[in-house]
Order: sequence, then C-alpha cells, then structure tokens
Amino acid sequence: MAQPTTLQSPAASATQDAPRTGNWDGGNEPFKASYGKLMMWFFLLSDAFTFAAFLTTYGLIRHKHEVFTGTGEFVFSTRWWPVPDRVFNAFPGLHGMDVPLGFVALMTMILILSSVTMVLAVEAGHRMDKNDVQKWLLWTILFGTTFLLSQAWEWSHFIHGTEKGMLMADGTTFHGANLAMNEYGPVLFADLFFFITGFHGTHVLSGVCLLIWCFIATTNGTFHKRGHYEMVEKIGLYWHFVDLVWVFVFTFFYLV
Amino acid sequence: MAAHATDENTPVGEIAKPNTGWIWRTFFILVGITAVEFVFVFLMEPSTFRNSIFIVLTIMKAFFIVAEFMHLKHETKGLIWTILVPMALLVWLLVALVTEGSYVGEVLQNMFK
Repeated sequence: MAQPTTLQSPAASATQDAPRTGNWDGGNEPFKASYGKLMMWFFLLSDAFTFAAFLTTYGLIRHKHEVFTGTGEFVFSTRWWPVPDRVFNAFPGLHGMDVPLGFVALMTMILILSSVTMVLAVEAGHRMDKNDVQKWLLWTILFGTTFLLSQAWEWSHFIHGTEKGMLMADGTTFHGANLAMNEYGPVLFADLFFFITGFHGTHVLSGVCLLIWCFIATTNGTFHKRGHYEMVEKIGLYWHFVDLVWVFVFTFFYLV
Repeated sequence: MAAHATDENTPVGEIAKPNTGWIWRTFFILVGITAVEFVFVFLMEPSTFRNSIFIVLTIMKAFFIVAEFMHLKHETKGLIWTILVPMALLVWLLVALVTEGSYVGEVLQNMFK
C-alpha cells in the first residue's frame, strides 16, 4: 500500500515550529494593530456609513422643506421645518417651563462623561489594574444607562406632545407625534427623529450590554489570566464611536 | 498543604501610577467646545454662517474623540488614511445630496406659482 503523499517530512515539520513572520506568511500584523482591533475599526467604519446615510437623508429632506421666515414668534406648522429649540424645550420635573435644549445638553454631558470613564478603564487595563478597570467600567455602565433613561424620557415627551397640540381639519386636536403625523411640523420630521435617535439609542443599549459582560469577565479575572485587557480596548472603541455619532446627531438634529 | 496566600485572579506586584492628565484635558476641551456651541445657539440668529460655525466645532470635537479617545492619532499612517478617506467621500455625498434637496424643494415650492 502506498504511503499518503501528504505526510510531512521531518524537515518540513521542523520549519513549522518557528513562528511565521514573513510579509506574506500571515504572521505579521497589518497596520501594527491586532486582528481584533483592526476588525473593530472596520466594523465602525461600516457603521459610520449607516449613520452617514441617515444624516444625509436628514439633510436632503430638511433642505427640501420650507424654512420659517415669518416675523415674530415661531409657530409649529406642517408648512415649514420646526426650529429645534422650540421642539426640545422640556425638562423633567420642570413642567410647562421653557428650557430650550436644556435636557439635550445634559444628555450630551452624560455621554461625554461616559466616554471619559471608558478611556480611564482602558488606561487602567494597560496598567493591569483590575480594581480600577472594574471601577471605571461600572461608572461607564452607570452613565450609559442614565443616557438611555434620559432618551426614554425624551421620546415619551416627544410622543405625548404639548398641551396645545395641533388643530386638525376636522376640528379635533392632535397631541404629540407618531410615524404618520406630528404636531411639530412635516411628517418626516418625527420619522427622522425616531429613526436617527432610535438607531443611536440601540447602539448605546448594545454598548451597555457589552460593558456589563466586560465587567463580569473582568471581575472573574478572565482578562487578567489572559495577560492583557485588549477586550476593554475594543469595547472602548465601540463606545467612543457611539459618543462620536451623538456629537453629529446633536449638531445636525438639535443645533443647526 | 499550604493555603494560597494570593488569589490568582487579583493582580500581584506593583501597579503603575495612573497617567490620566491627557484624558481630563481632552474632556475639558470637549466640554468647552460644547459650551461654545450653546453660546452661539442663543446669541446668534439662525443663518448659514451660524451653521458653518457649528459644523467646524463639530469636526473639532470629532477630531478630539477619534484622535485621543480612540487613539487613532497614535496608529500607523496606513490605518489613519483607511479610516479618513471613506469618511471624506461621505462628506462629498452629504454636500451633494443637501444641494439636491434644496433644488427639489425650490422646484416643488414654485411649481404652482
């Protein structure tokens, strides 16, 4: 019986013992970044495409609509695009008070703070300081959850609307917003609000889930045994990206 | 049988001192830029000029988040360009479609005049 030809000669297997380091051997790291981090970057790039598509859609639709040019106080109308600081002027616990963009400023601060505690966790991971990693991950989870709850309040207020509402053609009054109609302006305004902030909120939710898992793994000593906290770094990249998206949503939805 | 004095899960040996100055510096820059944005919202009437100020400030904030927090400034040039070039093309798309939106709006609003 013939020997299988695929059997390696002793000489060939000896060369396999040495790590592969050549350019085309698959042994080196492109861009001097680990596989995991590189893939996270490329995932984030593809995710940026999605958000860019959302914001481009927002820009096109907004510019398609009329701008409010009348003199005097701005009023909601389906004719023109709403002025953001007239729509988002409510604050929890301050019923009926006019706090333009106050709540969204608070949410922005919370998200920036969560980004800072995330970098602090990554920095602690570089020093193999397990207790500090745990501490900063917990702070990040706390801020992330607070942001999500704030967004839930913001959505609830947007959906239920103001007391004044919008007078419909049949004499009834419509309060708040849904995907088909809203009291603030053109139909698409509410649709874009739900889709853009909703998609961002889903990202924050996924981030919080990843962080909770990461906290448990840190507590179990998984990363310490592994010898590095690169997982914290990778989740950190994702978390900063979510913060970055908020910076753009904040400008294009609330400020401009 | 001797009991283990240390748990294998807890760090042993010296832990380096935290080096967090740059993190807080970046944080205060981000907070500062956001504060400036709020000043412009309430002090200026809406205009294309005000919007361009917002866009410049937003790009500044994005730079600090990506360069410092996401550490991209300290990666290799190849990785930096791999991320930046597609994003630059998306800005082109955004500008093109916003212009298109203005044109569509103009046509629709003047159709029956």
